[in-house]
Amino acid sequence: MRPISRAVLRPYVCPTCRHGISAGRRRFGSKSDSPDLYDVVCVGGGPAGLGLLAALRASPITSKLKVALIESQDLRKAKAWDLEPNQFSNRVSSLTPSTVSFLRSIGAYDHLDVNRVQDYQDMQVWDGQTGSRISFDWSMETSPFEDMRTVATMTENANLVRALLRRIADLGDENLSLFSNATVASIENGSDLKPEGPDLSAWPVLTVKPTGPAAETETPKRIAARLLVGADGINSPVRSFADIPTQGWDYGRHGVVATLALDEPATPPFPASKRTAYQRFLPALGGPIALLPLPDNHATLVWSTTPENAAYLKSLPTPAFLAMVNAAFRLDMTDLTYMMGMQSSSSDSTSHQDELTWRAQHTPLPSQIPPAATAVQAGTVASFPLRFRHAAQYISPRIALVGDAAHVIHPLAGQGLNLGLADVASLSKTIQYAVSHGMDIGDLLTLERYSSERYLPNAKIGGACDLLHKMYNVPGEGPVALARSLGLGVVDRLPFVKSFLMKNAEGY
Amino acid sequence: MASLRPRALPLSVRTLRSALSSTRPSPNHFLSAPASTQTRAHSTSSVSADELSHFSALASSWWDPMGHSRILHLMNPLRHEFIASCLAEGTSSPSQNPSSTSTPSTATLNYLDVGCGGGIFAESLARTIPLDPTGPAPTPTLAASMTAIDPSTDLIQMAREHARMDPTVHEHLRTGRFKYLNTTLEDVLAGNAVTLTPASSSTAASTPNPSSPSTQPAPQYDVVTLFEVLEHIDPKTSTPLSFLTNCLRALKPGGWLIGSTISRTLPSFILNQVIAEAPWPIGVVPRGTHEWSKFVNPGEVKGWLQEGLMRAADTGVSRGGSAIAEGMRWKCVGAIYIPGIGWKMVPGSEDWGNYFWAVRKEI
Ligand SMILES: Cc1cc2nc3c(=O)[nH]c(=O)nc-3n(C[C@H](O)[C@H](O)[C@H](O)COP(=O)(O)OP(=O)(O)OC[C@H]3O[C@@H](n4cnc5c(N)ncnc54)[C@H](O)[C@@H]3O)c2cc1C
Ligand SMILES: C[S@@+](CC[C@H](N)C(=O)[O-])C[C@H]1O[C@@H](n2cnc3c(N)ncnc32)[C@H](O)[C@@H]1O
Repeated sequence: MRPISRAVLRPYVCPTCRHGISAGRRRFGSKSDSPDLYDVVCVGGGPAGLGLLAALRASPITSKLKVALIESQDLRKAKAWDLEPNQFSNRVSSLTPSTVSFLRSIGAYDHLDVNRVQDYQDMQVWDGQTGSRISFDWSMETSPFEDMRTVATMTENANLVRALLRRIADLGDENLSLFSNATVASIENGSDLKPEGPDLSAWPVLTVKPTGPAAETETPKRIAARLLVGADGINSPVRSFADIPTQGWDYGRHGVVATLALDEPATPPFPASKRTAYQRFLPALGGPIALLPLPDNHATLVWSTTPENAAYLKSLPTPAFLAMVNAAFRLDMTDLTYMMGMQSSSSDSTSHQDELTWRAQHTPLPSQIPPAATAVQAGTVASFPLRFRHAAQYISPRIALVGDAAHVIHPLAGQGLNLGLADVASLSKTIQYAVSHGMDIGDLLTLERYSSERYLPNAKIGGACDLLHKMYNVPGEGPVALARSLGLGVVDRLPFVKSFLMKNAEGY
Repeated sequence: MASLRPRALPLSVRTLRSALSSTRPSPNHFLSAPASTQTRAHSTSSVSADELSHFSALASSWWDPMGHSRILHLMNPLRHEFIASCLAEGTSSPSQNPSSTSTPSTATLNYLDVGCGGGIFAESLARTIPLDPTGPAPTPTLAASMTAIDPSTDLIQMAREHARMDPTVHEHLRTGRFKYLNTTLEDVLAGNAVTLTPASSSTAASTPNPSSPSTQPAPQYDVVTLFEVLEHIDPKTSTPLSFLTNCLRALKPGGWLIGSTISRTLPSFILNQVIAEAPWPIGVVPRGTHEWSKFVNPGEVKGWLQEGLMRAADTGVSRGGSAIAEGMRWKCVGAIYIPGIGWKMVPGSEDWGNYFWAVRKEI
């Protein structure tokens, strides 16, 4: 992280330039030129941005703040989002218990459609190369009299976003401006409104432009922010304005996602409500495949693999795609590598399935494999590039970054969104503290509470995901694989991976 | 006038040296510091020329969050909490009744911050003054107005400049709910410096009140604050006793005088003289900020306040004087700075260094 003292050096408009600006503004008359003032301006209406807004509006300490949120997508559509009960969006995230309790504390959880979310209590993780295995079954660790502990709760991002929007609507629109279908055209430092007005030369001033057809008719708005929050995702314009560099790389992997229907489990779960998430590391194919439970024997697939494999998988007809998914949880690396290259044509759509059936007969199957996937929901097969990014710092005078704008990590532990909402929980607490102690919420002295609380935990979890990715990307039986199998075998009872995937996943 | 003694030359050399010794990796702290230190000619003498030149030289980096005042900035939230804990026991304002928790309090208290420096506390309290005085108070400090005074012209100017960077605070400055005055406590009491803005008046505002100050009663404040000032009083020209007595005089009956200072004990000597003023990166304040002999112990403050209460009561020695002293409502709690964690109030640590104290002027 760049030392904070350097952040103070963020290039403000130098006094001479400022002079030029104020000379200009006098000519145009200062009334129309002075921006609307807001306490918090949040760029980005994804889960992080909306979470922050809901948290600020829900707290009696911060509910009087004047806040604005700018989102280039249509928030009305997001609020009206609706799907058939048996259809699920392919953008699904696992919420850890601490994320769930945060969402409860701001009154947003009750707005989730609970028929669309699925808790799971058990997690089976194993190495496809060595077979070594680690299981995360809370029911083993809790006494039979306790309720089963939830490892995580699966929810569609759209369900969460809609819940947050409903909660925000619930809390009224006083002192709230939602700029939907609007984008940030520019951010610059304000100017000194001498002699009558305040000195805004250290305040970020945003020009907000409508997107779509309204762009032609509506005039852009100028708004100034006491605190500008970048919740604007991986390519954060707020981060660029603040001149905060990021560190990172592309994994050269894609995450293939899809919504699947699964077979009934061979043996019914015990207790009956127990659900399991499955993850198998496939070193030869470039990353793990995971199946995470959704209601009614549905599951969401996240398969991290090379871009070539991802393209191949996406090109397959549905029966072949399903055969590949099932094979990936069952066959050995050699068989899988072979099947990844099989010619497929629509006339011959059973060849993958035949191959799987034949090869599975000759492969000893471990006990923990998931039920077979039987159907793919139409239109849900997609892929995303996987990347690692970490901003050099989260704060700068009058600026804070949250969520993917601050960090993007490998999805293999399903932590990205949770880290973002943990940021939001911390930042909203920081703002509450500042307001109740007379601090300026945009001041570095305020914001450093937030960054010191979040920077290291995020770096630690991002780094652990990166390490796991690398460990499980060395194909073959070499020393790394040996270390791996030792690793998973031994570590099953030891702190690191387990506490990483469970305790950290649980939060705090 | 007597305060500007001809020792100015060697002093400014010392100030310069102390400034250099505390230069941090962060840039231009002292580059733009005024070479000469300006001081208003004051009619009184509790002001020490040494102190003034020292603090004035630090003006330019007063608000740098990584600068020499960082430690004061970090302590500031605790001041709000300590004040809130005092006010919870009662205030001078009849409308503030701590027992009636059913109706939310309105912000009605008038504050005087003595020795405000660059305004770290004054500005933060001004930020909590509601723009609409009739609504519920946003914080338990219940501020309706803030008058902040300091004898250093440089610091007051720096404080005003900084306040303009917050539109809310700027608005309070414009309407007069928040004032920075380059003056001394003695002048405030003499009515030479200030016209108190009536808390309820919304018209008070931008037009300065031209009425003759001498016709006004002495300013009466609900809370007088004195943060890290007592140890900077010039012992040659004033005494903490007379200074504290004056603070009490500015207070309404039932009001609170609240301060913080550093005690003169062995652990505190090590913490504040040896460690705090050691060269960067160990030290946290510039050399010359503290003069050991000026530190005051909790018992001393308490004694002066007892004496001061009697004097401020102005009833002569005869009636009730000692009763006032005995029935004095006195609060004191130590505060310790733990690097990496920050300031924490630690009851019982009063002798270790910094501590908050408060006294209530009985009704
Ligand atoms: C395949 C995959 C699987 C994942 N699985 C999980 C999981 O299981 N669990 C988990 O916790 N996380 C998971 N994640 C990560 C998770 O989806 C993200 O971390 C999360 O969406 C980040 O939320 P955010 O609000 O920070 O950013 P985003 O969701 O990216 O939101 C940013 C918003 O800002 C808006 N915006 C950007 N620029 C502008 C502009 N100039 N003006 C206006 N608006 C703008 C965008 O329109 C967008 O709505 C996964 C990610 C991937 C790729
Ligand atoms: C350590 S600073 C404290 C500033 C401020 N109260 C704070 O805590 O942020 C001490 C201040 O006391 C002021 N001061 C010194 N002697 C004073 C006096 N006799 N009357 C009022 N203020 C005085 C100095 O000018 C200086 O600004």
